[in-house]
Amino acid sequence: MKTLPRIVPLILTLTVLTTIPAASPAASKNDGRPDGGILAYGEYGRPATLDPITSNEMISLRITELVFNGLVGIDEKQAIVPELAERWEVSQDGRTYTFFLRKGVRWHPRDGEAPRLFTADDVLFTHNIMMHPKTITPLKVRYEFIEKVEKLDDSTVRFTLKRPILNALAKFSFKVIPAHGPANPQYLTREDPFVRNPIGTGPYIVKSISADREIVLMANEDYFKGRPHINKFLSKPFADQNIMTQAMMFNAIDMLVLVNPRDLPELQGDRRFVLQPYNALSYAFFGYNLRSPLLADKRVRRAFTHAVNRKEMLDAFFNGQGTIISGPFAPGSWAYNLDVQPLPYDPAKAVALLNEAGFTPGPDGVMQKGGKPLALSLKVPIEKESEAVKRVVLAFQNYLKAIGVSVKVEFKEWQAWKDAVFAEHDFDVILASWVFDDSADISSLFHSAEIGPWKNNFGGYSNPEVDGLIVESKLTLDHEKRRTINRKLHALLAEEAPYTFLWTLTNYSGYHKKLRRVAIHPYKFFSFADEWFIPAAEQK
Amino acid sequence: MVHPGRGAKVTTKLAAFRRVGVMVVRELALTALLLLGVSLVVFVILHLSPGDPFSVLLEGQAPGQAARASVREALGVPTTWYGRYLAWLGNMAHGNLGTSIRTGVPVAGEIVRAGPNTLYLTLGSLLVTLLLAVPLALYSAWRRSGALARALTLAVYLISAVPVFWLGYVVIYLCIHRFGLFPLLSATAEPQRHGWLYILLPIIVLGVANGTVSEVTRHLREELGRVMAEDYIRTARAKGAPVWRHAFKEGFLLPMTEMIAAKMPFVLGGAVIVEQVFNWPGLGRMAWQAAQDRDFPVIMGITIVAAAFVRLASLLRGVIYAGVNPRTATE
Amino acid sequence: MRRYRQAAGEVGERRERSRWRAATTADLAAVGYGLLVVALVVISYALGAVGWLPDDPARMDMARLNAPPGPGHALGTDFLGRDMLSRLIVGIQAYFLPGLLAVATSLALGATLGVVAGYRDGRAEALVTYLSNLVDSFPRLVLILLVIAAFRADIYYVMLVVGITGAPAIASLIAGKIQFLRTKSFIEAAHVLGLSTRVIVVKHILWYNCAPLLIIQATLGMGEAILVETSLSYLGFGVQEPTPSWGNMVQAGANYFFHGKFWPSTAPALAILGTILGFHLLGDGLNNILESKSAP
Repeated sequence: MKTLPRIVPLILTLTVLTTIPAASPAASKNDGRPDGGILAYGEYGRPATLDPITSNEMISLRITELVFNGLVGIDEKQAIVPELAERWEVSQDGRTYTFFLRKGVRWHPRDGEAPRLFTADDVLFTHNIMMHPKTITPLKVRYEFIEKVEKLDDSTVRFTLKRPILNALAKFSFKVIPAHGPANPQYLTREDPFVRNPIGTGPYIVKSISADREIVLMANEDYFKGRPHINKFLSKPFADQNIMTQAMMFNAIDMLVLVNPRDLPELQGDRRFVLQPYNALSYAFFGYNLRSPLLADKRVRRAFTHAVNRKEMLDAFFNGQGTIISGPFAPGSWAYNLDVQPLPYDPAKAVALLNEAGFTPGPDGVMQKGGKPLALSLKVPIEKESEAVKRVVLAFQNYLKAIGVSVKVEFKEWQAWKDAVFAEHDFDVILASWVFDDSADISSLFHSAEIGPWKNNFGGYSNPEVDGLIVESKLTLDHEKRRTINRKLHALLAEEAPYTFLWTLTNYSGYHKKLRRVAIHPYKFFSFADEWFIPAAEQK
Repeated sequence: MVHPGRGAKVTTKLAAFRRVGVMVVRELALTALLLLGVSLVVFVILHLSPGDPFSVLLEGQAPGQAARASVREALGVPTTWYGRYLAWLGNMAHGNLGTSIRTGVPVAGEIVRAGPNTLYLTLGSLLVTLLLAVPLALYSAWRRSGALARALTLAVYLISAVPVFWLGYVVIYLCIHRFGLFPLLSATAEPQRHGWLYILLPIIVLGVANGTVSEVTRHLREELGRVMAEDYIRTARAKGAPVWRHAFKEGFLLPMTEMIAAKMPFVLGGAVIVEQVFNWPGLGRMAWQAAQDRDFPVIMGITIVAAAFVRLASLLRGVIYAGVNPRTATE
Repeated sequence: MRRYRQAAGEVGERRERSRWRAATTADLAAVGYGLLVVALVVISYALGAVGWLPDDPARMDMARLNAPPGPGHALGTDFLGRDMLSRLIVGIQAYFLPGLLAVATSLALGATLGVVAGYRDGRAEALVTYLSNLVDSFPRLVLILLVIAAFRADIYYVMLVVGITGAPAIASLIAGKIQFLRTKSFIEAAHVLGLSTRVIVVKHILWYNCAPLLIIQATLGMGEAILVETSLSYLGFGVQEPTPSWGNMVQAGANYFFHGKFWPSTAPALAILGTILGFHLLGDGLNNILESKSAP
C-alpha cells in the first residue's frame, strides 16, 4: 500500500528490550467462538512471491504472515512470545541462543502426501538457504550476525552469534520454511515453484493462485495454536484504489488493509464498517542534501521547517489523521522525546532566519546570497496512486515560494529516483518516509559512517556529537540509559534539522463489522488473524 | 459481365484457392520476419535503457554494484546484449518466453492464462465498435446529408473522444447508484445478480471509447459512398442489374476487414486502461505492471504475443481480400 | 500492403474555389466549429503564455479543495484548491508542442515513406512495406509503456512514439495518392515537362495533391495526442504536476468521482471532448470539401 509518501522499504533493526516469557503449551482454540466464514480483503497491487525469503514487498509479507511461523513471535504489546520454539536459553556471554522446538508441529500437507513433522533440520535449512550467496533476499544482511547454527537433536537448535547484540531474540522471528519445500535444496530463486505454492506451519494454507494473483487461503485444521476461526481468506488484487474502496462499499470485499486517507470520510459515515487505527511506526519527512552549500546552514533548514504549515496539510489532505512530529523517532516509540515541540508555523521567523543566514530577496523575489539564488530541486518518485505525495510536495513548493525560495518539483520513475537519491546524491530535497520494523534504531540514518552510495544517510549528515550518542546508545545494555541518550539525540536532531520532520499518519484498516476480535500487528498486519472470527449469524 | 461456363467456374475456384494458399504462405513468412523485427526492436529499446531490470529483486536492500553483479550471476544472465538476445531467441524457438524477473513465473504460461481474457475484451469491444459504426455508416451513406445521419455522426464523434477511464468511472458509478449492482469480477463469493453485466461493461466501455468508432464510421461511409458512385455500378444500376453483391464486397466487407486489422493495435492498447478500471485480469494489466517493474521478459513476451495477434488479424484480412477479390492475391 | 484506396483527388489546384462554393452548410458548420476550437486553443495558448489568466494556476486554497463552480472560481477548484479555469487554459500548453511533435513526426516520416513506396518499386517499396508493417504490429500503448519502462515518462518521448506509430497510415495514404496520380500519367507528364524529381515530389505531389489530406491527418493527430496523454495520466505516466494537463486534471478529479464530486473530472473531460470533436469535425468537413467525391 502506498498511500503514504513513498515508503522506503527499509526495515530497521529491532531494539526492544523484552523479558523472556515462560514457555506455554500449544493452545487449543476451545474459546467458544465460532469457526467459519470467509474474509476477502483487497490489496492494491499484486504480490510477487509468497515465500518469506524472496519476498520484498508488503503484500507478499502479509501473506507469509498467514502461512508461516517464526521461532519466536511478537505479540500485541511488542513482547517476544514462543511460536515454533517452546522456550529458549541464552548463554551468559550473550553469544549462544538455544531454542527448544515445539514437538508435533506439522507442515501443511502437499496434495496426496502426508504432512511431515517440523524439526530442527528445517531451521538449519532455512538459515542456510537464507544465507546462500545465490539466494536474493533482503534478509541476508540482517542475519549476518549469526556465526553458525547447530542441530543438537531433532527438537533443539543452537545459534552462535559473532558478537553479542542487543535484542537478538526478536530477530529469531524470521519465518521458517520446510526442508522439503523448495525444489532446489541449495538456494531459493523466484523460479522455484515453492515461491508460488509455499507450505508452512501457519494458520492458513495456500490453496490456489489465479492468473490475476487472487490468492485463496484455507484454514489449517492442524494448526498448533488451534484451528483458526475463519475458514477462508481471499486476497484480491486491485489496480485502482478508487475501485477498491468502491468494492468495499459494495461488499465485494470485507477488508481494506490500508484505507486511502481521502476515502476515510466515506467509510466513517457508514455503519456497516469499522475503521481500526494502527500504528505503523513510520514517519514522513522532507530530507535535505547537506552537500549542497545552500542547505549546509542549519538556519536555512530551520527556516524551511518554520515556513511549512504542517497542521494545515495534515488537516486538509489527511483529515487530520496523524501526529506532527519534532524528531527522528516515530511517536509511538519509547525513544520519542515528547518534551521537544515541533517548530511552529511562522513564515516571518522563517524569513528572519534566512536573512540571518545571509540571504536577501533578489530582483525576482527569490532569496539569494552572493548572487546565488535559493533555488532547489525536489525529487519525487512517480506512482499511479500518488495524490497524497503530489499534494504534500506541491504545498511545500507553495509554502517555500511564500518566503522567497524557489522549488522545482521533479517527478522521476521509481528506480531512477532511487539512483538519483541513494547512489548519485543528485537532489536538494526529497519527500520520503521511514518505516521502522519495531522501534528506534536511527544509526543508519544519521551516523556519518553511513554516508556513501546506497547507504541510508543519503543527505550526508555528519555531526561528531550525534555519532557519539548513536554509538553510546548502541553499546549500552541498560534500557533507561538508552532512553535518556535517545531523548538527547532527538533534541539534537530536532535542533539541527537535517530533515523537516512532518508527521506520523494514523493508518486505518477498514473492515466489515461482521469481523470480530480484530487485532492488527503494526506492520506485519495478519499476525493475530487466527483469532479473528465471524459470528455464525453473519457467516452466510 | 462475362458468365463463364460451369467447368470454367470450378477451375477458377481452384485457382482462387491456390492463390489464397500462396498468399497465406507468403503472409506467414512475412509474419515470421515481422515478429523477428518486433523482438529485435523491443530488445534494442530495452538494451538502450539506462535502468537495471533486476533492481526489483533488490528492493529492500542496497543495490550496489556488487549486489547487482551477484544477482546476474545467480540468475545466469549472459553478459553481452546479443548473447541475451540469442538466448532469448533460442528459448523462443522452443516456445519458451523466459521467466518473469519479478515473480519467477514462466512468461508463456502467464500469457496463456491472461491472454484469453484480453482476447474476449478486444474482440468483444471490436464487435461493439462495429455494431455502432456499421449501421451508422450504412445509414449515412444512404442518406448522406440527412439531419439524423448528421446528428448520429456527431454523437459517435463525441463518444469516441471520451477519455476511456473516465467513461469507465461514469459507467461504474451509474451501475452502482442507479442499478445497485457492482460490476466487477472481484465480486463476492456468491454469484451476483446481473453477473453477466460484469463481462459486458468493460467490453462496451472499450468498444465505445477506444477512439476508433469515429474513424471506422468515416472510413466505411466513404468507401460505401465511393463504390456506389463508381461508373459501372451506376451503369449496372441503370440497367437494372443487381449491384448489392459488388457493393457489399467492395464497399463493405473489404473496408471493414481493413479497419478491423488496422485498429487491432489501438484496441489492444485501450485494453491496458480498461483492464485496470474494471479489475480485469488480462494482458494489459500485466503489461502495465511489467513496465513499472522493468520486467523485461514479460514486456518482451507480451509485445511479441500482441504483435502476433495483430499480424493474425492482418492475415485474416489478406485471406478475405484474396477470397473476395482475387486480384489482390497476385498483386 | 495496406491500401487505403483513396477517392479520386483533383489534379491541380484550380477547382478550390468551386469546391468551397459547392460545400454544404453542414460541412461548413463542421469546419466552422473546428476552426473555432482551433482558435480557442490558440487563444488559450497565447493567454497562458502571456499570463492573462483569471487566477494564478499554481495558487492553492487549502480551505477549498475540489470546490464546485462558484464566485472566485468560475469552474471550481481542483484537489489542491487551485483555480480550474486557469488550469484548463494553461493546460492546453501541455499538448501544443508535444502534439505538434507527434504530428510533425507522423507527417515527415509518413510522407517520406509514402513517397518512397509510391515512387519507387521493388526493394525500396518492399522495405517501406516491411517497416510500415513492423510499426503497425505494435499495440501503441504497449509500445509507449515499453519506451517509458526503458527510458522515462517524458511526454515528448511518448509523443515521438505516437508520431512514429501514426506514420504508416499517412504513408499508405500518400502512396495510394501517388499511384493514382501515376495511373493518370500525371507524373510522367511532369517528367516530360522537365521538372526535377524533387520539385515534383515536394511541390506537385505533396503540396498540391496531398496537402488537404495531410492537414486532416494533422488535426486528427492533435486529438490523438490529447487522448493518449489522458490515458497515460491515468496510469501515472502522463504530464507530471505541477504542470497542468487536461489528462492529469481528469485523473486527479476522478479520485473524487465516487464521492459524488463529479465536477473536478468532468470539466477537463468536457474540454477534451469539445476539442477533439472540433478536430474531428474540422477533419471531416475539410475532407468532404477538399476531397469532394461528387465532383466529376
